[in-house]
Amino acid sequence: MAPQTPAVVMDNGTGYTKLGFAGNDSPSFVFPTAIATKSQGGGGGGSGSGRPAVANKPSFLTGGAGPGSHLSGKRGTEDLDFFIGDEALAASAGPGYGLHYPIRHGQIENWDDMERFWSNSIFKYLRVEPEDHYFLLTEPASQYHLNYSAPLNPPENRENTAEIFFESFNCAGLYIAVQAVLALAASWTSSKVQDRSLTGTVIDSGEGVTHVIPVAEGYVIGSSIKSIPIAGRDITYFVQSLLRDRGEPDSSLKTAERIKEEYCYVCPDVVKEFSRFDMEPAERFKQHTVTYPNGKSVTVDVGYERFLAPEIFFNPEIYSSDFLTPLPNIVDMTIQQSPIDVRRGLYKNIVLSGGSTLYRQFGRRLQRDIKHLVDERIAASERRSGGAKSGGLEVQVIEHKRQRHGPWFGGSLLGQTPEFRSYCHTKAEYDEYGPSIVRRFALLGGPGST
Amino acid sequence: MPVCHLEPLNPSEANCRQAYHSVFLDEPNQHLIGNFALLPLRTRTRGPALQLPPLPAGVTELTIDASSESYDPLDEVLQLFRANTFFRNFEIKGPADRVLIYGILYVSELITKIKPNMGRRDAEKAVMNSALDTNFAIPGDAGFPLNQAFEPPKDRNEAEVLRQYVGQMRQELAQRLLNRVYADGSNAPSKWWLSFTKRKFMGKAL
Repeated sequence: MAPQTPAVVMDNGTGYTKLGFAGNDSPSFVFPTAIATKSQGGGGGGSGSGRPAVANKPSFLTGGAGPGSHLSGKRGTEDLDFFIGDEALAASAGPGYGLHYPIRHGQIENWDDMERFWSNSIFKYLRVEPEDHYFLLTEPASQYHLNYSAPLNPPENRENTAEIFFESFNCAGLYIAVQAVLALAASWTSSKVQDRSLTGTVIDSGEGVTHVIPVAEGYVIGSSIKSIPIAGRDITYFVQSLLRDRGEPDSSLKTAERIKEEYCYVCPDVVKEFSRFDMEPAERFKQHTVTYPNGKSVTVDVGYERFLAPEIFFNPEIYSSDFLTPLPNIVDMTIQQSPIDVRRGLYKNIVLSGGSTLYRQFGRRLQRDIKHLVDERIAASERRSGGAKSGGLEVQVIEHKRQRHGPWFGGSLLGQTPEFRSYCHTKAEYDEYGPSIVRRFALLGGPGST
Repeated sequence: MPVCHLEPLNPSEANCRQAYHSVFLDEPNQHLIGNFALLPLRTRTRGPALQLPPLPAGVTELTIDASSESYDPLDEVLQLFRANTFFRNFEIKGPADRVLIYGILYVSELITKIKPNMGRRDAEKAVMNSALDTNFAIPGDAGFPLNQAFEPPKDRNEAEVLRQYVGQMRQELAQRLLNRVYADGSNAPSKWWLSFTKRKFMGKAL
């Protein structure tokens, strides 16, 4: 292979899929991880096509007894009648199609849908020949000897992915990377990062959940991962409830979402921010114009939600009655539960990732609040020790330009390195050893590589 | 559905951020009735409250800072009202916090009297009607909603003094709230303040 083709980087998240080529600054496609398929007829005539019910499990889980599990065996024309991404949303709005989300909580739940989703991603969107490209895929943390709470992926999922990529798509080579590790790599573009270390705490906040994931030298410390049920969607709901309290002319979710994205920021102190709005109303209050398809438009005033909405990360009590622990405390607890010899590195390199970490001043406030907790604890232990002095602990939150698609961008960075291909498993290796080969990958970007 | 994977924590461990507390908690020589502090007020209404000096030149009710000697608990009530009404939990740390709680709950009540289309004159009438009404519950009365946290006065004398003090708070709060709600001079109430009508600090109402 003389001129190397760029690796394909695919980050399939619960909410959105990011597709593109290694070496690029941003993904070529970002669309919902959704698929619209012909609903299996209403009522009795459902199985009229005469084909067996779709098996949701990979072949080795059905003990090989099930019908030939992959789609190739049972492809009728109706199997080709589907849409993915934004087209899926559009199709499902009309009759005849049902909308499905093949990934739940970061894990693939419906393998048939996922295979179709991938095949459309490759052939219809990226338009590449899989046999010419190496693929870098992502997965949630996969550490099977640790607990299965939070975003952990059983190793069988990797094997099943490999089966589809090598056997259905015949791809040249495959690497499966952990999203949190890629998010760390993405932060290397920040000027604050001096050493390209794969030790750090990733705060990944998307639409549904916020994860706090400690990573030591490229390996996720699965037992200390924490998830909190506050993320982008909750911020949108909170904006909406504030709009409704005021009786704004448009308080739809869509408007709330636009307002969240355009006007919200994190403030240092809520009470001071309220007085700032009192003193300089002209600069602080904004107006948002909503234009409807029929040409009419209304004006929505934007006020306190600008700083109150993202405040739910730092003061969940103002939004939720059952989840009360602020994000800075969760980060602190996560690190405190990690092995003592990596804690310093985890505090020093707290990396943000995901769309809900993009609010102005988010990182600064987080750093201040965590620092405050750490300093308090150090002061308390100094008092108890009677005179011992601590050297202090550095807390640093890294914000960078590629935060929104952090894992994808990290994949793009690592996928373009010269040694990337040597870390992949190739089709030939797969044919020789079988699917279990993908249970292990050498650590990309770890010590020893450039 | 997002799932919370946290082990249950006891409240002290959870280290929840708290609503804002009174800066007057450490004020020396507080005059207490029950466990309610009769802190000095900056008011010309008649009653038992000690008087604070009027606002210095160049300082308004909006700009007054907690370090000023004219700063009183009612300034604080109006400053913290919008932030604290979002909280359902509040740990009372001392008698001054009870002044804050009462003040915030009373502001909540006052705000419901101001309707979106009321001019300042009408709003003043509605609000002062409530503020001047002496028929309100004080700690120890059966109708007082926070009797678990507020101790009753020891005797009728004390009860009378407390009632007069609370009356002063109510009148002064009404005046200052109007100044804030009608701050922009347009004779229409601020929709930003009126949006707090439905929120209930600590889930309570007077």
